[in-house]
Amino acid sequence: MKKDIGAIIGQIDTLRPIPQVAHKIMAAAKDPQSSMAAISDLIQYDQSLTANLLRAANSAYFGLSKKVESLHQAVVYLGTDKVVDLVLLGASSENFSMGQKGYDLEGGDLWRYSVSSALIARDLAEVTGGCDVHTVFTSGLLKDIGKVVLSQFVADSSEKINFLVSNHEFSFREAEKAVIGIDHAELGALIAKKWKFSDRMIDLIRHHHAPMEAESEMEASLVYLADILCMMIGIGVGSDGLAYRFHKEALEKTGFDDKDLQSIIAGFGEKISHVEELIGT
Amino acid sequence: MNITVGVADMKVSKDPNAVLVTYSLGSCIGIAIYDPVVKVGGLLHYMLPDSSLDPDKAKVKPYMFADSGIAPLFLEAYKLGAKKQRMKVIVAGGAQILDQQGFFNIGKRNHMAMRKIFWKNKVMVSHEDVGGNVNRTIKLSVGDGSCRLKVSGKGEYEV
Repeated sequence: MKKDIGAIIGQIDTLRPIPQVAHKIMAAAKDPQSSMAAISDLIQYDQSLTANLLRAANSAYFGLSKKVESLHQAVVYLGTDKVVDLVLLGASSENFSMGQKGYDLEGGDLWRYSVSSALIARDLAEVTGGCDVHTVFTSGLLKDIGKVVLSQFVADSSEKINFLVSNHEFSFREAEKAVIGIDHAELGALIAKKWKFSDRMIDLIRHHHAPMEAESEMEASLVYLADILCMMIGIGVGSDGLAYRFHKEALEKTGFDDKDLQSIIAGFGEKISHVEELIGT
Repeated sequence: MNITVGVADMKVSKDPNAVLVTYSLGSCIGIAIYDPVVKVGGLLHYMLPDSSLDPDKAKVKPYMFADSGIAPLFLEAYKLGAKKQRMKVIVAGGAQILDQQGFFNIGKRNHMAMRKIFWKNKVMVSHEDVGGNVNRTIKLSVGDGSCRLKVSGKGEYEV
């Protein structure tokens, strides 16, 4: 018995949309005509964004030797790209703070997972080069927003979903679709659309478990690889575990080999304890 | 009192009130050891099979790799009076993404690396919960050696 999809979609309104200023900052960061001064102007008039940014910039994650006390210093020490990412991080956290019972996630787990996969996606995008790093980072950060809404419906159907995953070789996403009628990636894309995200970002969120179906296959492959690396490392992973499909096309598309990905895992393992400080838990 | 063993981390204890815990093992492996005579416990959480990937990193973070992390787990427990032949050894983790057979299957390789080291050093495993697509948590009570495993989507059980 499938759920009433309309009722699920209606729940999107219980989320708090990403603030307008974050959209403006994302657009400015992508615009080659836009200067850092213009981006700074957008940030500095929002006190909470600035406060979050300074806290994150001073976390051990970045290991800066000097304390960053202003937006200007943050730009000097970290560079525009990282400052923009940190602003987006601060603007996105609110919806992720609660636990998601359907996925057996405690409060903060999904945010820890999301930030970790965004950071890994950024690392991968920097190695690959030639793609839009901010979009990859932000998509990594928000790709599981659908889980926040779908959680209560997954909780209601957890027995059926787990049965399909354990006994019929369904991936967790396939089981969500079969039992509830919509999966968290589809729902995430609907949320992104409602929040007026770019078409590319909607595409990346929609296809973060099936990158070869995305229009932006390269970026989708990076977001996808970061996601499976996080599952493998095990940061804030819930009852869905590692029950998602491996697509070797993502390796072929990005050119990463086994050793590259092991190095990414090792690199992230070294700074994993600092992630807690970065996200302020 | 819970003592958390992080990712690429190891702890040993003989405090009877201590519970060693490591959360969310995906393709990583957790090894819990316990000597019931001296009541000494240890827990390791490693990420990757082989430190030849990055020997410098292995010097700073030996618990990241099977080959540099497993020996110190046992050696530190010996320092507290534990003996190998009395040791209960519980292993969990080494999961894989669906359809990952043959491609970048770190979970399986982590398990193989451990088995090789145990075989060479004549270590017997008392209980193993490895592989599949689940993530796992290990809790070892140092006071009585009881060990609980939590498996995603399946719940918690006592070993």
